[in-house]
Amino acid sequence: MKPVRTIAAGAGFAGDRIDPAVALAASGVVDTVVLECLAERTIVPGLRAQRANPEAGHDPRLKRRLSPLLPVASKNKCRIISNLGAANAAAAGRAIGRLAKDLDCKGLKVAAVIGDDMMGRQDKIAWDVSFNGELLGARAYLGMAGINEAIDGGADVIVTGRVADSALFAADLVPHLQPGDDALAGAVAVGHLLECAGHLTGGNYEGPGGGGLSAEEFANLAYPLARVNADGSAEIGILDNAPGLLNVLNCTLQLLYEVHDPSRYITPDAILDFTGVRFTQTGPNRVHMTGARITGRPTHLKVSGFVEYDGCIADVELGFAGKGALDRARTSVDTLKRRLSNWSPESMRIDVVGIDSILGGASLSAPADLPEARVHISARCDDLEAAQIIEDEVIALTVSGPAGGGSIRSERRPRVEVVSGLIPRELVPTRIEWSLS
Amino acid sequence: MRVGDIAVGRAGDKGPILDLTLVAKDDAAYALIEKAVTAGAAEKALARVAPGPVMRYEVPGLRALKFVAPEALPGGVYATLHAGVHWQKAAIWVLLELDI
Repeated sequence: MKPVRTIAAGAGFAGDRIDPAVALAASGVVDTVVLECLAERTIVPGLRAQRANPEAGHDPRLKRRLSPLLPVASKNKCRIISNLGAANAAAAGRAIGRLAKDLDCKGLKVAAVIGDDMMGRQDKIAWDVSFNGELLGARAYLGMAGINEAIDGGADVIVTGRVADSALFAADLVPHLQPGDDALAGAVAVGHLLECAGHLTGGNYEGPGGGGLSAEEFANLAYPLARVNADGSAEIGILDNAPGLLNVLNCTLQLLYEVHDPSRYITPDAILDFTGVRFTQTGPNRVHMTGARITGRPTHLKVSGFVEYDGCIADVELGFAGKGALDRARTSVDTLKRRLSNWSPESMRIDVVGIDSILGGASLSAPADLPEARVHISARCDDLEAAQIIEDEVIALTVSGPAGGGSIRSERRPRVEVVSGLIPRELVPTRIEWSLS
Repeated sequence: MRVGDIAVGRAGDKGPILDLTLVAKDDAAYALIEKAVTAGAAEKALARVAPGPVMRYEVPGLRALKFVAPEALPGGVYATLHAGVHWQKAAIWVLLELDI
């Protein structure tokens, strides 16, 4: 079977590397490069920025990411689709139009997909949980429809806000596939596989018994592409001679990544059953995928809400070094617990970095000593004064605690929680705003 | 033998939900982890770091097990009191280190 469309992932999160997308667009073998740049909470800084400036709120890396990419994509007629519009896709579309002009990329049609903002329809959202903080924003996960309207209009660059990651890919593929559910299922599965970019090519992966790519390979990691057949089956691969690892095990990990029930993965355009998917290694770093199925179409779309509470999370560390560093860090943990005994234990966590700050000691047992150890405290604080008390108590250990405490690190994070809800899909229309270079 | 000697894994999340995947390297390895890493075993192993119920889904055709812990990350990954953000990326090691 001859592939009908080749699509690639050029980024898997907002801060992702820029060179892989340029290499994919420059290769001449890729029809479309998708840049997935909007994780669940990445939109929050954008929501804040947009309040202060109506032309802000898109990914602030827009210019840095697209400046090297637009000229080469334009030359090779490679389409770009990205959710880097974040909180403000319309402004992102205008900014890309201006950037393309500045770069002398003439005649590019830039489409911004508008319609994910649900703040005006809050009364129609059924939230999973009740909350009493301030709702910063509520964004629906859009499906393929808006992107397909942009494609029909001849868009070279399509920028969106919140869209299901897999739909960024599937929308580009579907016009080239056979009609029907099986091909659509394949297109969404390809999108789901590719959406985390380096996850599929050896990043965040260790083989059975250990072992992964080398530092040289990680530093130049190829991002994945898919040669998609008309029936929705696909061959996943990387550019020739690029470093990476693509095998049945990491394809399976990524297919099942964050899907919860593998027989019922809910996306805006389809509910998918991945249990019948089969992967076959067809060559070095080439894996064939087939067998995704659709079991239905959701009547509602998911909405993510971002709820801000007063105060912050204070996250403070103090380091020790030399013989007995671990003991001194542990004595500091005990000292802090005594000093903060009037605080609710549920609102703070005190531990030792290198011992139990990540998994709480639930993996390997601790050694007798470490060359260096850091005591860590995080506390949920109702106001900045409380956060200052936490920081002060840690710094006080440098003069009134175990010997040699130093290398202090202190940060305060806003208390933003992510909540989920559902909204009837007919209440989420989309429209396109065009910019031309 | 560790689970990680015969299987690979990855941790993900959505809102408060921790979502772990194990994929066995072959049919014999799948039979072993399918028997040993029950929902109860995963729940017990995770209790120190992310207490709460765990549901398991089996995908024998892909030699994979999924473990979904809906209450493991209260408020989502940015509300955590762990050092820094995104501690849950390492959570799969709780299962990979299990002795079978």
